[in-house]
Amino acid sequence: MSISEQAHHRAARLATSRLPVLRRSLGDSWRSLVGWSIGVTAAIFLYVPLFPSLGGKDSQMAKLIETLPPQLVRTLNYQNLTSGGGYVESTFFGLLGFVFIVIAATAWGTAAIAGDEESGGLELTLAHGVSRRQVVLERAIALVLRLAWLALLSFLLILALNTPAQLELTPARLAATAGAWLGLALLSGTAALMVGALTGRKLYATAAGAGVAVYGYVLNAIGNQQADLDWLRDLSPYGWAYQHTPLISGVDWGGLGLLYGFSILFLAVAVVALVRRDLKN
Amino acid sequence: MTTQPAIELRALSKRYGSTTALDAIDLTVDTGAVFGMIGPNGSGKTTTMRLLLDLIRPSSGSATVLGRDPRTGGPALRRHIGYLPGELRLEGRVTGRALLTHYARISGPIVPGGMQELADRLGLDLDRRVRTLSKGNKQKLGIVQAFMHRPRLLVLDEPTSGLDPIVQREFLTMVKEASANGQTVFLSSHVLSEIQQAAHAVAILRSGKIVSVNSVEKLRLTATRHVRAGFSGTTAEALRASLAGIPNLSRLDVVDGAGPTEVTAKIEGDIDAFVKAISRFTVADLAVEEPDLEESVLTLYGAAPEEAPRVD
Repeated sequence: MSISEQAHHRAARLATSRLPVLRRSLGDSWRSLVGWSIGVTAAIFLYVPLFPSLGGKDSQMAKLIETLPPQLVRTLNYQNLTSGGGYVESTFFGLLGFVFIVIAATAWGTAAIAGDEESGGLELTLAHGVSRRQVVLERAIALVLRLAWLALLSFLLILALNTPAQLELTPARLAATAGAWLGLALLSGTAALMVGALTGRKLYATAAGAGVAVYGYVLNAIGNQQADLDWLRDLSPYGWAYQHTPLISGVDWGGLGLLYGFSILFLAVAVVALVRRDLKN
Repeated sequence: MTTQPAIELRALSKRYGSTTALDAIDLTVDTGAVFGMIGPNGSGKTTTMRLLLDLIRPSSGSATVLGRDPRTGGPALRRHIGYLPGELRLEGRVTGRALLTHYARISGPIVPGGMQELADRLGLDLDRRVRTLSKGNKQKLGIVQAFMHRPRLLVLDEPTSGLDPIVQREFLTMVKEASANGQTVFLSSHVLSEIQQAAHAVAILRSGKIVSVNSVEKLRLTATRHVRAGFSGTTAEALRASLAGIPNLSRLDVVDGAGPTEVTAKIEGDIDAFVKAISRFTVADLAVEEPDLEESVLTLYGAAPEEAPRVD
């Protein structure tokens, strides 16, 4: 092969690279992905192995919970703490893990459009040979992949701890719960991305991502207090994910449908919004 | 090859609420030209350029870029345009090389080694992380990014800002080469002097309107020059008497110091009368500034620039 032919091939390879925006998004964020992976791993190892000593019907923990005000117990979702499924759902998926993945999703969803626009990077990217729709979609895929990795990691770690921690979980139910957890994160992430695409402002995007999570949690906690307020949980994304306790009763397709359906809707709005509006300085 | 203009703007306007950023401008930039847009901050230069790249959309009027409407031209059109934003902010841990490779992946083939060659010409280290680069070096990276895929049209917003004079000169050489190569260069500056060596024609913008479009040659003929000269063996009075009669000379200032007698003045247009007048004296020092075309054109159109006290 002559030098000019080699040159031509190299140039052609650069030109035909697939999904350049997605690759860059993943490349730029691997450090934070490693950070969140460590955080999620630490949260799982902090809570889950303690189940045999903390959980169980006659454990110290069960006795302690009996002494707590029932409203507080219901707010924290600690009613089912005595079963393995209830314990993992209450401590990890519903509490610390929820906080972690929502923060990660909101941060990544904010950075995808609003953060990049405020820092001036988006202007330069969009001046190149890429459409706005492609930028939003590739960055959304990058967001989904990172969050899905955290869900897969949690699934695998908890599955590995299933026997040693005497959790008695089935892989299918664990997968259903990890899927609900992922859906909850996607909702916050796509909300942040959508509001970023609508406004170009980091502050609003972050408020949207965090707001969705807080709204869902608070509504669910209120709905948990009394039977006649239970319907509130139907309006709460947190309720969509966990009100039917997928770790104990199995997959809740309705809840998953709402979580993923709204995420897709938010993403569609983000595409349309960014395609239509002027870029901010 | 068609002879259609590279850029054609017809009554192009951009309004933000009640403020008008761009007010029905008409402009034609021929293919292969180096066209400058001059004006103070907020005059509409950046707005015009962002409209060409479809980063913002016009309120009314039309733009045609390389024969296409930027609104519908999409990525295919933008692959033929190299753009340098006016307020270039580059962040991130990646190296300059990785960032440029990323843009090359998006915008299509670049000549192998072309990236490095441009970086070498501007004296830019591509292996340093972007966020550690100084403002000037980020600007160089932005210039390489705009030039590297040899686009048919270069849209460069304040390209010389932050560059030291030697790099500025190299940049202007690159602009001339691009033009010789058939590429069109559309660039802006808030001072004409920074781009007048490269530009063929300039449009002067003020408050969203084009005040004038002139060839640089024509501007040069009516240019305003600031001169400074030092004379020995004479007096301030003698100099004043001899220079006072020159009609196109103004702001004459003669100072008797410890050393030579210092003269500063402003000359509009022809400099010959001044040179003849001072030839009778012993000239110890003489400096004629590169003509400030901007000042002359604004004077010409009755819109004198906000004058800052001039320190010579």
